[in-house]
Amino acid sequence: MNRLERLMSDISSYTEDNPYLQHITEVIDTVRSIVFEPGVSADKSPFLRDYIEIKRYMFAVVLAVAPAALASIYFYGWRALAMIVVSYVAGGIAEVTFTLIRKEEITEGFLVTGILFPLTLPPNTPLWMVAVGIIVGVILGKEVFGGTGYNIFNPALVGRVFLTTTFPVATSSEWLIPMTGGWAGFKQFSVDTVTSATPLGVFANSGTLAPLRDLFFGNIPGCLGESSALLVLAGGIFMILARIIDWRVPVSYLGSVFLYSALGTYLWPNQVAPPVFQLLAGGLLFGAIYMATDPVSSPTTKEAKWVYGVFLGVMTVSIRAFSGYPEGVTYSILLMNMFAPLFDEMVMTFRYGPIQKPYK
Amino acid sequence: MRYISVLIAAIFAHNIALRYFLGWCPLVSQSKKLSSAWGMGVAVTLVMTITSAVNWPVYNYLLVPYGLEYLQYIAFIIVIASTVQVLEMVIERFFPSLYTTMGVFLPLITVNCAILGVSLFMILRDYTLLTGIVFALGSGIGWSVAIVSLASIREKLRFADVPKPLQGPGITMLIAGIMAFAFLGFSGMVGIK
Repeated sequence: MNRLERLMSDISSYTEDNPYLQHITEVIDTVRSIVFEPGVSADKSPFLRDYIEIKRYMFAVVLAVAPAALASIYFYGWRALAMIVVSYVAGGIAEVTFTLIRKEEITEGFLVTGILFPLTLPPNTPLWMVAVGIIVGVILGKEVFGGTGYNIFNPALVGRVFLTTTFPVATSSEWLIPMTGGWAGFKQFSVDTVTSATPLGVFANSGTLAPLRDLFFGNIPGCLGESSALLVLAGGIFMILARIIDWRVPVSYLGSVFLYSALGTYLWPNQVAPPVFQLLAGGLLFGAIYMATDPVSSPTTKEAKWVYGVFLGVMTVSIRAFSGYPEGVTYSILLMNMFAPLFDEMVMTFRYGPIQKPYK
Repeated sequence: MRYISVLIAAIFAHNIALRYFLGWCPLVSQSKKLSSAWGMGVAVTLVMTITSAVNWPVYNYLLVPYGLEYLQYIAFIIVIASTVQVLEMVIERFFPSLYTTMGVFLPLITVNCAILGVSLFMILRDYTLLTGIVFALGSGIGWSVAIVSLASIREKLRFADVPKPLQGPGITMLIAGIMAFAFLGFSGMVGIK
């Protein structure tokens, strides 16, 4: 280990001196700080003792999403892993190119986007489409705003909504039936049993509900990561206990979906599905836990988080029930990302009165 | 019920700024500050509602009886220009601070395509007078929602390290584009007719 560390620091100092190689110093430093500790420490007070910094934070999210990612291989074969790899490679190239041209530090935020993005796609999305989506998401969703920490919209969802708008047939008309029993998907590359609709689509067309047990354990067609509600919930509970995400957003989001659909199914039984089905079906849990809680694109103040969550729920159920799409989690999270700064501003104004801004 | 559905459709599913891409000139240029965005939103909503209330009788009782429908563009523009002129005087007299923040953009509402667009849509879709006014009010509110949220996003991005060529209008157009993507979620929700 010591030898490896010395080798890395040699490479790093060598590339810094070499006029041709100094452009890639950032890449080397990033690899070094991922493998070892960051080589910098603060020498001026105040010192903040906290084990969570951006890198650990991002790794914790990746760890929390890992069960759902493994389950996607179990349900849909090794092709799921291929999609994740393509997403990491293509998005990584886009991110590194952008940061090298702009001479910035590479941050670890991409590790999260890179795994969340493929998990929101249908299992038979062509691999090149995955690459296009993640590149659009990384560049137009994050890098043009100034990189990690400034992305107003969730980059993975920008990529996903770009794909669903540009290639509507390929990304929403064909779904695969997951395999279960024994080793299932671990034994083969891909699944070829095609079906035409997810449980939400079936409900929108014919009003039949999928059994709740299947929704909970994962025996339903859908996007890669959202199959099993159980594993997504486990990841969410882990992140809430580890203080990676704030519990307010998922609780208010899921709570408002429950209340609204309980009321809605009483008023318009043909359009609004019953509450427990709404909670377990589709990408709601995945979105509420991994997407809506993104610390950058969600509001900062506590009160705004509650408002944000409640509106997310209202939007999701409204889109599911009344619009042309069977699923509305992606759109509602993007919509609320757009209003998050306004909610914060309103909460601050309400609490402290109109703020005199130091700039014009 | 019909009025409510037209109002909601005009705000969300058929948002004049984010579905028809009308009125983008003030949307981009007046969204630097939240306060001026509010002012602009209120002004556009007001002008939209008043002009469509005037344009409907002008079209149906003045142009149609004489078979002069082809003059609708000129007639509407004249109505809009005079309304804005009066509104400008009122704002200058009673809200001087709002007047200075809006500067040249209040006269520019005259040539704001969203205002003319709403009047033309109203004729195209055969609305009654009351439906037309509700539609104009909803379009104005929808436009205000777009510009206010865009302004709050831009205020948050003030300290962001946006690439130099994209600073200002460039990044604003990109944000508005992603906002339009998000508004696609409403499509098919409420009928406009």
